[in-house]
Amino acid sequence: MKQAMVILLALLAALTTRSLGADITLAPPSGVTASDVPNDVGSQILVTWSSSPDEVEPADGGVRALLGYAIYRQVAQTADGLESIGEAGSNQSELGFPANFTFDDVEPIGSVSYGQTTFVDENVNAGGTYLYAVAATGAGGTFSPLAVASLPATAEMQYFNQGKLWFLIIMLIISGVIIAFVMFAKRGGTIKVRPIAGLEAVTEAVGRSTEMGKPVLFVPGILDINDIQTVAGITVLSNVAKTAARYDAKLKVPTARSLVMTTARETVEAAYLGEGRPDAYNEDNIYYLTDEQFGYTAGVQGVMVREEPAACFYMGAFYAESLILAETGNSIGAIQIAGTAMPSQLPFFVAACDYTLIGEEFFAASAYLSNDPEQLGSLKGQDVGKVIAAVLLVIGCLVATLATVTPTQTLEMAQLYIADNILGNAGLAPNEDAVMEIDARWNAVESKVKEEGGS
Amino acid sequence: MNQIDPDQIQVILATDCGSTTTKAILIQYVDGEYRQTHRGEAPTTVEKPFADVTMGVVNSVTEIGELAGRRLVDDEGRIITPATDTEGCDIYISTSSAGGGLQMMVAGVIAEMTAASAKRAALGAGSIVMDVIAANDGRRPHDQIQRIRDLRPDMILISGGTDGGTTEKVVQIAELVAPAKPQPRFGSDYSMPIIYAGNIEARDSISEVFSEGGFDLQIVDNLRPVLERENLGPARDKIHDIFLEHVMAQAPGYDKLMGWTGAPIMPTPGAVGDILQTVAKLQNINVVGVDIGGATTDVFSVFDETFNRTVSANLGMSYSISNVCAEATMANVLRWVPFDMDERELRNHVKNKMIRPTTIPQSRESLMFEQAVAREALRLAYKQHKEFATTLKGVQQQRTVGDTFSQETAGQTIVNNMKLDLLVASGGVLSHAPRMHQTAMLLIDAFEPEGVTMLAKDSIFMMPHLGVLASVHPKAAEQVFARDCLIYLGTCVAAKGMPKAGKPCFSWELSGDRSGSGTIHGGEMQLVELAEGETGTISLAPARGMDLGEGPGKKVEREVRGGTVGLILDGRGRSLELPQERVACQATVQGWLDSLEVYTEEVQPAAV
Repeated sequence: MKQAMVILLALLAALTTRSLGADITLAPPSGVTASDVPNDVGSQILVTWSSSPDEVEPADGGVRALLGYAIYRQVAQTADGLESIGEAGSNQSELGFPANFTFDDVEPIGSVSYGQTTFVDENVNAGGTYLYAVAATGAGGTFSPLAVASLPATAEMQYFNQGKLWFLIIMLIISGVIIAFVMFAKRGGTIKVRPIAGLEAVTEAVGRSTEMGKPVLFVPGILDINDIQTVAGITVLSNVAKTAARYDAKLKVPTARSLVMTTARETVEAAYLGEGRPDAYNEDNIYYLTDEQFGYTAGVQGVMVREEPAACFYMGAFYAESLILAETGNSIGAIQIAGTAMPSQLPFFVAACDYTLIGEEFFAASAYLSNDPEQLGSLKGQDVGKVIAAVLLVIGCLVATLATVTPTQTLEMAQLYIADNILGNAGLAPNEDAVMEIDARWNAVESKVKEEGGS
Repeated sequence: MNQIDPDQIQVILATDCGSTTTKAILIQYVDGEYRQTHRGEAPTTVEKPFADVTMGVVNSVTEIGELAGRRLVDDEGRIITPATDTEGCDIYISTSSAGGGLQMMVAGVIAEMTAASAKRAALGAGSIVMDVIAANDGRRPHDQIQRIRDLRPDMILISGGTDGGTTEKVVQIAELVAPAKPQPRFGSDYSMPIIYAGNIEARDSISEVFSEGGFDLQIVDNLRPVLERENLGPARDKIHDIFLEHVMAQAPGYDKLMGWTGAPIMPTPGAVGDILQTVAKLQNINVVGVDIGGATTDVFSVFDETFNRTVSANLGMSYSISNVCAEATMANVLRWVPFDMDERELRNHVKNKMIRPTTIPQSRESLMFEQAVAREALRLAYKQHKEFATTLKGVQQQRTVGDTFSQETAGQTIVNNMKLDLLVASGGVLSHAPRMHQTAMLLIDAFEPEGVTMLAKDSIFMMPHLGVLASVHPKAAEQVFARDCLIYLGTCVAAKGMPKAGKPCFSWELSGDRSGSGTIHGGEMQLVELAEGETGTISLAPARGMDLGEGPGKKVEREVRGGTVGLILDGRGRSLELPQERVACQATVQGWLDSLEVYTEEVQPAAV
């Protein structure tokens, strides 16, 4: 029986591989195949094989005979269409490794350790065809004969990553919703945006300054204009400046970056012009203090204590200075409105300010204030996207929880599909191997239950 | 005017000189309490050819005298004071809205802050606010000057700036008023009164601005000394003083009338506000009062001792009825009518009412239509009132981290229907409805009271008289208000929330003079008998999500008082929503009307 098995294995090896080379001390792996990695740009080829018969743990706990596998490659055809095989020398076959192949002369393209049976060649050219061979490696630089793949593999570039089909579907839905909302808004439809207390209170804060005859202070954060929070802050500044122009209140904007100062000046000037009050604009009220974080903080504090503004706006990126500024503003009795996306600073602003725009609200301010249909439609569409994400999250959590607490085959399948297909890279069709594995497991469970029921 | 000891007052004569009618009432001390005993009325005689308001007063008082068998007017046509056993009265008091009442223009720096406070002061004093000028009202200075020039107010109230605040802006406002030289309505020799109630640091500059041009500048304390607090009292008092000294003195016959009264003559709406404030304070309750007239609708509210009054100038039942239909839309008006009506006919009806304001409905259909219009007029007026009666704007907020996701802006309305204890109705369409049930239904549909709310109507529009009486004798005013002024319609119990149709909304159990129990389902109304003078305790168990005053789903126990209608249990939910589909809407409304027996008796034409 044992002899028959050996003969059969030998025949199989002979059918699928051709063993070449010398220093044969180990049995080669079998069933070497090479295939293009799907859904990539043609830069990868997957090589798989069945492990060598010598890949066994020594019974006495001694040293393993087989330590790993070395992978070799021959270029069958370049991406430009030139066949390389057959040009290396006269002693080689038309398609394959040379008959005089020696391990000493050729470096493997990669190696994997004991127990592994796959290798991804990431150093291929799209369109190139490659022939792979694998040899088992042992202690002392010994090699098994080469096990050559029966067919070469071509690295192909896929223009469409089918593994991300769900991503495409969701993106199309969200984009469609955004476009639909933008068109709806452009046609005069009303898009309701939740009132944001902090932005509603802008007129109130500026009005307070006018009644009290005191200035409005606007702090656009301490980062430069390339930070998105500073940009969002400047958007709010535009609205504050318009209100200040309308209410004839004095607006002061100390900045920590020169570029922010320039941008703020342009913004405020445009706002005053838009309100028909260019005469009221004074560029000296928008000035640069210092790039130094606490130097700037001290400067702004000084302005607060000396001029006692009736309204303080903090809109941008803030760090440790947030509480110092907000507490100072609170102590002088100003209405304070803050907006930042720095999670660590939000509690300080919430506690010390009258109104705080939190993260998303701060970025939504632009659409909210401008009432521009494109911005409003986009905002609404993004909200729908968030709803989809939240629904998927809830469904996923529910399915995963139920699959753990009361496992059923359907729930496991659903969990697998959400994880691998919707959130993963498996595309639309379920992963057959995983499905079969689940099927087999549940069939086994059913059989066991039947058996126990029968006995 | 001599100060009279309130304990000595036995007979009180009060008149209200309206634009068309002078109404007089007699209050007497009977069996240990003050009661209104007789009433009389006569046409107002402020206009030519009479041009003497006292003639109408004497006529109405003479009528009372005849009814009471008591001589109140002497041979010289003067009201007899003090009283003896058979003649005269201990005190005579009066209010006036003749000649359009008190008309004012107010100004402030910011429309939502000092200008809003100035408007509150003027409205609270009983005036009609013709316009509000503010630095941020969106008008160019020349437009503002033109507007001031076009108006002919009785006086102007200027505010602006906190104490120590802006001077520049307040002076700018004054510099708009001074060159505009607004002319008063009455008298060519009359100097336009200007009340300045703004920043104290701007007083000198303001005095300088108004030093020329024939203005009568009066300076009082700032009505907004800090943005966190209003101080309306001094401005209101000054408005009353000027009303008497200047406006009334110019009106025909008022100088004589002022000599007769034992207390200052008050503008009618101001007096109504005063009595409601007095009652709210003495009984520690929240009150809303409404007076719907032909051209305007006044809404008064006292919540947590804060008084507010609004005048909806274009919402009324005759002169302004077209505007009500336009503003509310005909579809919204017709949703209250449980049958189909020809729109052309309706439009004719509306226009006829506008050009012939004294006409009254001649058929059941036209009565129902008119009451549908009244519902919308009241609803819109109350909406405007809610928007005006707010917390102060421009005030610093104190927050904790717990407020992260629940930040509310300042300027939220203080009108809270759940806290409302008493809803008082007055005005022709409410007071003269053929059935009290109609008045109750109108009030519930328009105001949507929540929780447990007492409904009442002013029997003979006595509130103005009692308002001025409250300034002299609060106890007498309160007693008459409770016993004779108000006709209690009953108590409305309504749950806040949106119940599902046919599902339980709340269950109730009544004990006391009457007993009973049951369950009110979503969309259902029920009338429980509880007659006038009867009281009881009602235990209420709202369904989940429904609120009757203690929070969603929490049980409530309240004292209830009966009335001419009874105890009204309303399971329609709040806010009140009617089906969009016309047939379903008609069926729903008809169901409600039947439940409350609103039109069950044969309807006689309303008597005005």
